[in-house]
Amino acid sequence: MSVGTGVAGTDRATGRAPGSLVRAGGFSRRLLGRTDGLVGIVILLVFGLLALAPTLFVGPLENLTTTSGIPLQAPTAAHPFGTDELGRDMLNLTVHGARISMTIGLMATVITILIGSLVGIVAGFVGGAADTLLMRLSDFFLVLPTIVLALILAPIILDVIGSRAQLLGIRSTLLVIVIVIGLTSWATTARVIRSQVLSLKERMFVDRARVIGSGGGWIMRRHILPNVMNLIVAQAVLTFATAVFTETTLAFIGLGDPSAPSWGQTLNSAQAAGAPGLGAWWYIVPPAAAVVLVVMAFTLLGNALDDVLNPKALSRR
Amino acid sequence: MTHVEDRAPGYARPSAGGSPASLPTPASIRGRRQWPLPKLADPAAPLLEVEDLTVRFALRNGSVKAVDGVSFRLDDGEALGIAGESGCGKTTTALSLVRLLPANGRIRGGSVKLFGIDLVPKTEKQLARYRWREISMVFQGAMNALNPVRRVGDQIAEPIEVRLGQSRDASQKRARELLDLVGIPKQRSTAYPHELSGGMRQRAMIAMALSCDPALVIGDEPTTALDVMVQAQILQLLERLRHELGLSLMLITHDLSVIAETCDRVLVMYAGKVAEEGPVSRVFTAPRHPYTRKLLSAFPNIHADRRTLDVIPGAPPDLRTPPPGCRFAPRCAFAMDVCREVVPPEVRFADGVRVACHLFPTADTAPLVAASGPTAPLTVGRPADGAHEAAPWIPPVEDVPGVVAAPQGLRRLDEPAE
Amino acid sequence: MSGRYIARKLVQALVTIVAIVLLNFVLFRMMPGSPERASKNPHLTPEIVAANRVKWGLDKPLIPDQLINYVESTAAGDLGYSIKYRGQPVVEVVVDAAGPTVLLIGLGEAVAIVVGLWLGARSGWRRGGTIDRVGNALSLVFYSMPYFVIGMPLIIVFAAGLGWFPTSGMTTPGGNKTPVEAIVDLGRHLVLPLTAVALGLIGAYSILMRSSIVETRSEDYITTARAKGLPDARILRSHAFPNALLPMVTLIAINLGYVVAGAITAEIVFNWPGLGTLTVQALDARDYPLLQAIFLLIAVSVVIANFGADLVYGYLDPRVRA
Repeated sequence: MSVGTGVAGTDRATGRAPGSLVRAGGFSRRLLGRTDGLVGIVILLVFGLLALAPTLFVGPLENLTTTSGIPLQAPTAAHPFGTDELGRDMLNLTVHGARISMTIGLMATVITILIGSLVGIVAGFVGGAADTLLMRLSDFFLVLPTIVLALILAPIILDVIGSRAQLLGIRSTLLVIVIVIGLTSWATTARVIRSQVLSLKERMFVDRARVIGSGGGWIMRRHILPNVMNLIVAQAVLTFATAVFTETTLAFIGLGDPSAPSWGQTLNSAQAAGAPGLGAWWYIVPPAAAVVLVVMAFTLLGNALDDVLNPKALSRR
Repeated sequence: MTHVEDRAPGYARPSAGGSPASLPTPASIRGRRQWPLPKLADPAAPLLEVEDLTVRFALRNGSVKAVDGVSFRLDDGEALGIAGESGCGKTTTALSLVRLLPANGRIRGGSVKLFGIDLVPKTEKQLARYRWREISMVFQGAMNALNPVRRVGDQIAEPIEVRLGQSRDASQKRARELLDLVGIPKQRSTAYPHELSGGMRQRAMIAMALSCDPALVIGDEPTTALDVMVQAQILQLLERLRHELGLSLMLITHDLSVIAETCDRVLVMYAGKVAEEGPVSRVFTAPRHPYTRKLLSAFPNIHADRRTLDVIPGAPPDLRTPPPGCRFAPRCAFAMDVCREVVPPEVRFADGVRVACHLFPTADTAPLVAASGPTAPLTVGRPADGAHEAAPWIPPVEDVPGVVAAPQGLRRLDEPAE
Repeated sequence: MSGRYIARKLVQALVTIVAIVLLNFVLFRMMPGSPERASKNPHLTPEIVAANRVKWGLDKPLIPDQLINYVESTAAGDLGYSIKYRGQPVVEVVVDAAGPTVLLIGLGEAVAIVVGLWLGARSGWRRGGTIDRVGNALSLVFYSMPYFVIGMPLIIVFAAGLGWFPTSGMTTPGGNKTPVEAIVDLGRHLVLPLTAVALGLIGAYSILMRSSIVETRSEDYITTARAKGLPDARILRSHAFPNALLPMVTLIAINLGYVVAGAITAEIVFNWPGLGTLTVQALDARDYPLLQAIFLLIAVSVVIANFGADLVYGYLDPRVRA
């Protein structure tokens, strides 16, 4: 039994489904008012800046020929994060790693969300055999861990696109990672979106559109898509976290590109150089901390977005 | 001029068995109890006495007094019905008796005396001792009120085992006996809740509520989720248990027919306050508070002429900012100026009815009422011609025994001014 | 639990396994270095190519002959020969490496389930307070860390730094250990990798369990239990926990795939001689038959584990047993 009934605020007034992004006025306030939303956005902005213009902050990416320090040196004033086994400055590596890791994460997220949303919307809306088939498919992908699939798919895709291909300055090995993550992580998004579509289907305005005679595709685009957007946005942010996480893992295992030092790749080099056993913590902590911070930030932000955009009713007896 | 008797007939009259003579007396009930009265109890005190109870909920943007100064009393063997719209505070009142409020709710004032023992100042631990053993509850929608992954028999036996310290076997045996008592075959005690029908689940809940032989059973909308046939069965069961076990009942419901059928007294609540309270036979045949009258007339009367449904226009007030004065004033057909400014005090009639309404003023408020003018009633969406509204009517003084004489100058609103 | 429920879940599992085997078949054909592709090598003369094709049965039609051949040999346990390990049957290599991985994952899950679920339940039941907030924050941090990211600092601090534990490997080389010594040695080597795997899992499980308990807390039957005057601990144990556990079972099962993947990375850090290290070696050497076998093994194990989880769920929740 709710207390204080009679308070206004029904969405029947506007005719839109609740949670529509249109109510953006209070949106930023609500999001930033939460600790998790605030922390998430701040961390993201910091790393986003670093990722967009790493050269601005630490100069060009050091490589074998432009190392600036002694190999495996602990942090000093000149090299606040120490150096790796080639003598490269860790701060330099880590900041450039931001660009690489986050770009890959972004591209993978785009693919995942595209596939996942498409599958989810079609499955939810069309229903029937198509739905069952798509859901069986997504179950299959849910069960299999991304990493394991990646091991198999990576060499194949690499072969397909050729080892010399380049897209936006990203070499094929990394492209492979992007594609692999995209191909294997869409299942969760598809399921989530599908549930939302199913519940939207029940709503009256879809029936109204049908009565007028609009075709399925039109309904999907004009009515369902806008109302699913909120969910997609929240899912995208969470997927980004997973994408960065996965990319780091895949690079660590050795599927990455040694010349493009994403954080995972740097950790791979650290492991190969025996850094843990040598106690060379400076080689490990910066990229590791960066990954953790970014993943955490996106997770927090994703949860905050989910709460703000899709509020669950405050039910009290 | 419509006569008040004409409005009564839609409801079943309280059954003959409800008259005081056939119910067990307080002494016999207390003597019959399996467990002695709590140590601190006062044998002379009524079973339950609630005085000026106030409950506050802390919300994100403010706080709400869901229950504001509610008082009532329940004697041994009585059945009290609490009626009102959703959100009027009836469930909150019941829950607060055993402090089952959600985390943001708190009792802010008043006393709840069980056999004379005030429960409000007790700590959680002390209070827990009285739960279920003295006061137990039957909740609505028993699908979720029963733990879905445990057997029904276990759940009934649980309080017997834990609270009364009986052995596992003895508790299970007693649980089966209780199931039998409420009309469920004993072997169903190994069933899970989802394997029982809605009516059977409700019976199981009742059996569970009786497991520690409490003095009072509170039913929160116990029949709301059930269809009419099953509803009747459950009510019959409750009646039977009342007489066989001398049980005291508190029924919370928005369904007045349930109260009419099962209860001795009724408490009508509105927006957290008591509107009217008294014996069912009096309140249902001679309702005094305008809200009560509206509630009763909102029921379709199959004996009367066909007419459209008499609804109460508007909505209950937002309790974060309750209106000054009488809370029903914005929707009341009889509202006067004084109603919008002064909270009406309670008046007690000789026939046992209490009302809080300026139409029945005390000696103190009589001058205010006389000075106040009746105003045009403020209702949202009220049809202009008033065709749906039964003519406003104040019971003549002779019809209501012991009423304070209506002050001079009070007139019917549909009469033209002199 | 009715036979119908078990049968249904079993069929689903089998269908998935079949799909995996088929996927494997397709991938095997597409793998660089597979016989199919090797025959496209321009340096080989047509005669050699033709001869190879006959040798590997590639002259027969893809479906059904090659497929049946493949399925038969897979079922018989013949998955080809390892390139890196000089012709040793792949199955042998993989099975040898599976033991340590199972040990690590099994123990890790066991610890994480016990600790994580308990932490989550306590934290969710009594909300607020510093313990809850700190615990939540810590859980979130561990949840965001890949296992190797947890593992590396552990080595730095406890092995390289404090020297309490060995920095890598599963056993200390050198024979002639008594059984007790061997077990202790294994234990010492096990501590850090186990901690890494367990911490990551505890992070995830406690967060998930916490929200499950928080949701359960507002259910009606909890109010009923409170109304009965039962002690708080009993309500948590007897009413809230069993119900909150149900979605957790599903989540743990879904998570298994990720655990396996994560354990692989942890093994790399600790040089634990399990499937993880094997995977990296296979990648380096482009040993595709080996990789493929690892994939098959892991995928099928995950499916079987999910089936097991379905059985457990059916045991815990009487509502689905029909």
